[in-house]
Amino acid sequence: MARFLITLPGRADGGRGARPAFPDSVTDLRQAFGPFDHLAQVGRAAEIAGFHGALAPFDPEGDESLVVAAGLLRQSRRLRAVAGFHPGIATPVYAAKVSASLQRFSGDRLDWRLVVDLDPAVARAQGDFLEGPDRYARAEEFLTVAKGVWSEEDYTYEGRFYQVLAGGFQSPLAGRAFPRVHLSGTSKEALELSARHADVHVFDPEDDIEAAGPPGVTYGLRIPVLARDDDDEAWEAARRLSSGTAPGTSLRNGLVGSFETVAAGIRDYIDRGVGVFFLEAAPYVEETYRLGERLLPLLTKEGARVR
Amino acid sequence: MSVDIYWRVGTHGDQPSLRRRVVSRGEWAPVVPGSLAPGVRDGERDDYSYVEHMGDVARASEISGFVGGLLPSFPNTDDPWATAATLARETTTYRFMIAFQPGFLHPVQAARMSASLQRATGGRLVYNIISGGGGPDQLWWGDKVEHDDRYARTSEFLDVLRGVWNGGPFDFDGRFYKVAGAGLPEGLAGQPFPEIYFSGSSRAAIDAAGRHADYYLSWLEPFHALTEKFDQVRANSDRAPKFAVRIDVLARETEEEAWDEIRRGWDNIDPTVLRDATGDSIGWQRSRSFVTGAVNGYRDLEVTPNVWGGFHLLRGGPAFGLVGSYGQVAERLDELIDLGVGAFILAGVPHLEEAYRVGENVLPLLRGHDLRIDSPLLEGTPS
Repeated sequence: MARFLITLPGRADGGRGARPAFPDSVTDLRQAFGPFDHLAQVGRAAEIAGFHGALAPFDPEGDESLVVAAGLLRQSRRLRAVAGFHPGIATPVYAAKVSASLQRFSGDRLDWRLVVDLDPAVARAQGDFLEGPDRYARAEEFLTVAKGVWSEEDYTYEGRFYQVLAGGFQSPLAGRAFPRVHLSGTSKEALELSARHADVHVFDPEDDIEAAGPPGVTYGLRIPVLARDDDDEAWEAARRLSSGTAPGTSLRNGLVGSFETVAAGIRDYIDRGVGVFFLEAAPYVEETYRLGERLLPLLTKEGARVR
Repeated sequence: MSVDIYWRVGTHGDQPSLRRRVVSRGEWAPVVPGSLAPGVRDGERDDYSYVEHMGDVARASEISGFVGGLLPSFPNTDDPWATAATLARETTTYRFMIAFQPGFLHPVQAARMSASLQRATGGRLVYNIISGGGGPDQLWWGDKVEHDDRYARTSEFLDVLRGVWNGGPFDFDGRFYKVAGAGLPEGLAGQPFPEIYFSGSSRAAIDAAGRHADYYLSWLEPFHALTEKFDQVRANSDRAPKFAVRIDVLARETEEEAWDEIRRGWDNIDPTVLRDATGDSIGWQRSRSFVTGAVNGYRDLEVTPNVWGGFHLLRGGPAFGLVGSYGQVAERLDELIDLGVGAFILAGVPHLEEAYRVGENVLPLLRGHDLRIDSPLLEGTPS
């Protein structure tokens, strides 16, 4: 059965921080509203609306995704949190250790979305000057070492990028589920890396999924959606969005239309082999409720039939 | 200038008392009847985890008046970043002092995590920066950099972290780190920079502390040794940091009660540990260097009044701590304040209950700087 996740805003306020003043005649008891208050609400919305999880994307203009994921996991019982980051953030041992604690705290609900092909300028601003296929070689070592210390008690590794001597987690840090690894990219190196290390390979809507799909890996899809009661209403909302008179995320290559139309579009992707959907829709709380109430019911049944 | 008093959180389990060296809180020892190990129930996993207990300690500390807590980091502890991010919204004033080694984390990532944590907590993040002593532990973490280089790396790490903190574009080309066009984005940039607690006794450590630390942090030692250490830091740095001391306390209503608690623990120590005075623990050797004469009983490790050098025998960790009545412990803490100490990280076993005890019974007895009769703050003011 296909799984559906929402995509969180990169920045925790999601554009929701500004609150216009009330006129004096209206009682206003509002207190300070922190950026993570909004984020917490989006996460709870996803949990209540029946989503499988939420993606905290790697966004250099936004909040740090492991911190976001930790907060989300703490305030949910079933929701999975997918944290997006790139391999340059830490040694693989440290990334694994932070994650091992988050798995302990959350009952194994943390997943990784490793971003390997960063824009070079963005990468340099993160302190990462590695370019080209070397980035995949490093990601390969990163995942190998992270999985190695996770599951072996006396782990030693000597690679081009990383070295570990007599490493490995012991009880009680050991023995948790390793985060499901999400990777992406359509280059030869990207697909080879996914074949070795990914649980989910995440495509863009325009990718040639059938041609590229690495073997033995669940296909994922990142896709903007805008669904309303009927097609006209959806396209009117899309028009307002693109003219900037309504908040939301880019709809490029996304699905726009009635709930049935969008569900049909998603079923097409399910037929092409996609098993995990990262839906993109804003405003976050309202759209999460809307999609959970109206779109997911159309797909749960169909998804079950297709798979 | 008021004194900041923190209370440690055990990130790798706890003992129910100092009477027996048995870890029964958390799953660091086999879970048996009587263990308090949230996450394990009747031999099966439940929906809880050790972070529930750490949250209890944090809330107990907050309620009983501590400004926050130190979250230590070792190979087999839960991770402080994960813990702080998990508990951020369950406390209101509690400051999370995160222990970390700069080498394991890129400074831009550290800045991003820190800024997001500042946003999640309303600015309650504090750093305890450890540069690492070397040895096999460093390679466990995958860190190849040598001891003295580690402090040079820590300096660069903090230069980059501060460089990106208020936005960009920031360029840096050092021995360990290189960034181009870096800087925290709008919304994350420009928040209060976390206070830095910094430790280490070597020359390289003290140099780095002088440049970067808000507080130079030491374990408790006999006060004359601490004074020498502080003087050395002052002499070796242009900008002397404030001083902080990490202290285990065992305080009871009466002195007799406190020492009786130590005696019970002492009686349960494996005798071979006591005979082996050369033991391989640095804590033990260091504590022995302050002890003159034979050790025939636990009071022989009381090197100056109430300063006892045997805590490492009753639980993992440093040797020296304070033992005595509530009033005596408060007096010793006041003496340290007089010697220039501006912050404490206190600890006691078990951390949850002792947070209440010390917060309710010892902290109210402190006179601190401001109330002292000889305080420079009071000079020239009408009495």
